[in-house]
Amino acid sequence: MTAIVLAAAVGALFALGTFLLLRRDLIRVVWGLAIISQAANVYLLAMGGIAPATADSVPVLAGHGDHVPETADPLVQALVLTAIVIGFGMTAFALVLSYRVYEEHDTLDVTELGDRK
Amino acid sequence: MTMTTMTATPVGTESQLVIAPMLIVLVAAAATLFLGRHPRARAAVSLAAGAGYGLAVAAIDWYIVLAPSAPGIATYQVGDWPAPFGITLVADGLSAFMLTMVAVLGIGSLVYSTRHLPGGEGRSYYFPLFHFLALGVTGAFLTGDLFNLFVWFEVMLMASYVFVAYSGGPQHTRAAFWYVALNLLASAVFLLGVGGIYATTGTLNMADLAQRLAEPAAYGLEPVPVVGLLGMLLSVFAIKAGLVPFQFWIPTAYRAAPPQITALLAGATKKVGIYAIIRLSFTVFAGAEVAVDLPLPVVDATIAGDSPLPFVGAALLVMGAGSILVGGIGAVGRDTMEGVFAYSSIGQVGFIAVPVAIAASTVDPTLREFAIIAALVFALNHTLAKGLLFLAVGTVRSATGTSRFADLGGLAGRSPPLAIAVFIASLALVGIPPLSGFFGKFLVFDAAARAGAGPVLVLLLVGSLLTIAYATRMWNRSFWGARTDAVDAATIDPVEVGVLVVLAATIVVVGVGFDPVYEFAETAAEAALDTDTYVDAVDPQKASDLGGSSGGDH
Repeated sequence: MTAIVLAAAVGALFALGTFLLLRRDLIRVVWGLAIISQAANVYLLAMGGIAPATADSVPVLAGHGDHVPETADPLVQALVLTAIVIGFGMTAFALVLSYRVYEEHDTLDVTELGDRK
Repeated sequence: MTMTTMTATPVGTESQLVIAPMLIVLVAAAATLFLGRHPRARAAVSLAAGAGYGLAVAAIDWYIVLAPSAPGIATYQVGDWPAPFGITLVADGLSAFMLTMVAVLGIGSLVYSTRHLPGGEGRSYYFPLFHFLALGVTGAFLTGDLFNLFVWFEVMLMASYVFVAYSGGPQHTRAAFWYVALNLLASAVFLLGVGGIYATTGTLNMADLAQRLAEPAAYGLEPVPVVGLLGMLLSVFAIKAGLVPFQFWIPTAYRAAPPQITALLAGATKKVGIYAIIRLSFTVFAGAEVAVDLPLPVVDATIAGDSPLPFVGAALLVMGAGSILVGGIGAVGRDTMEGVFAYSSIGQVGFIAVPVAIAASTVDPTLREFAIIAALVFALNHTLAKGLLFLAVGTVRSATGTSRFADLGGLAGRSPPLAIAVFIASLALVGIPPLSGFFGKFLVFDAAARAGAGPVLVLLLVGSLLTIAYATRMWNRSFWGARTDAVDAATIDPVEVGVLVVLAATIVVVGVGFDPVYEFAETAAEAALDTDTYVDAVDPQKASDLGGSSGGDH
């Protein structure tokens, strides 16, 4: 059940991100990129899965005795944390950059920007 | 680590030397940030860091790779966490070769930057960004972990985003936006590939990956998906390298960035893409036990083999061939110097991709190694020659205020040293003996001939003819002919020209004393192909082997 929900969420996020990426408005393009990065993060989380807690999958548990329930894979969470920080910084940078583009060109329309040489 | 332990353990060793170049540029980046109000101190710290970086890379070259008693490979387990749980840094022949190449150009570009800072001295963030760019490139060459490679790619990219927007004009912000958008998308694809590989194999440590993929049954893996996931990663690396069909961002981004940074984008970040393709395809995925069989209906051929390499070879050959043609034809018609060189970069990276494709397609181990040597030597020549040419664009632009062919002419008479340096670099691109470019081109042709690939030879020949055409045209339009007003009024900086002359001399020295360079490239190619040594040196362990002694102390 969780797998189906996650798969649907990842699919929907990628679809929405791609749709926004193809719009003419530069801000929408930035939103599209941000949503695609988030979709990749959700996908990355889903790749870890939930497993019985053993020292093989979670080395920290090697010294913790036997009373550990099922755990989610901690590695992918660490990866996603890194990816979120990077994605957050890049989204902020892209927004600032689109503001500069607006200042310089007086338009946020991608097709008009593309025409100028 | 002492040298005695290095000689005592034959397969690799631990050494703090591996992390030294990264620490040096990281400290320099932080220090130059704090020295924002003192331009002279900033430049001095940067130059000292450049010298330290050069020394560290030379030490890695000698003590780890080239010395008679050198171990050939050294690792550094960050935080003393054993692989595959911690991040492993690995310096072997391939990493050392790439680092050396980048260090030569990087130091040249750094010295150049202390003379001519685009945007004036007020831009206090130039040097910190420069060092972060170097940090990202260095980290990407040294890391032994797939996710860590992603992180270093991002470090490198973030610095380069700002550099593309650096000059702040309308065309620069626009170019930067396209560049950022494309690379954000590429980063998402990179994460998809990384996540998929983790789900398939349960590890992201490159040595552990190679070990598990070689014996999938022993680890209970179903390795077939890695072929597609490797394809995703390859497309990301192809974007960084600027291979067709991912070449479209190169001309605008290269035109927008300051010339001394464009020299690094063409000479260093492009090579990170090439390095990642070679490292992952040959060291990590070559041993994967995946029987592949893909019939191609149109040309009536079949791509088949027992590892993902034939797919890599076929894809790279198509991309490389496209790059050679698009880059060559595009370069002939440009009307600015940097336009010619940007398209030329696309073409030249095709010349690097084609021998890598030959190495991936062949089953003959001798030819595979030889083709990788050819690719590495060609990459070295491209870094030196194209780096020099982009720096020369900067000199011409800062002296005359333009780099359009229409406004240039007679530069050869105005500054003979500048002209000689550019002439040597152009000849190196074309491949005239005894320059480094001759050996690069000769080895690539030789690899294609040994592979018995007739059409590839024709393609390379067409690419070479196009190189001659655009190099000659660039030379005639800007260095010969009647002197224009802009050239007459030019004041040419002697230190900038000095850097160019030193790089030109390096091109000649690499060509004349080619034997040691070839041996270094041979060591690098052996390291790229020697998965067993790589795995033994990193020594990935199983969690059950640790026995709780190292993990659960808290």
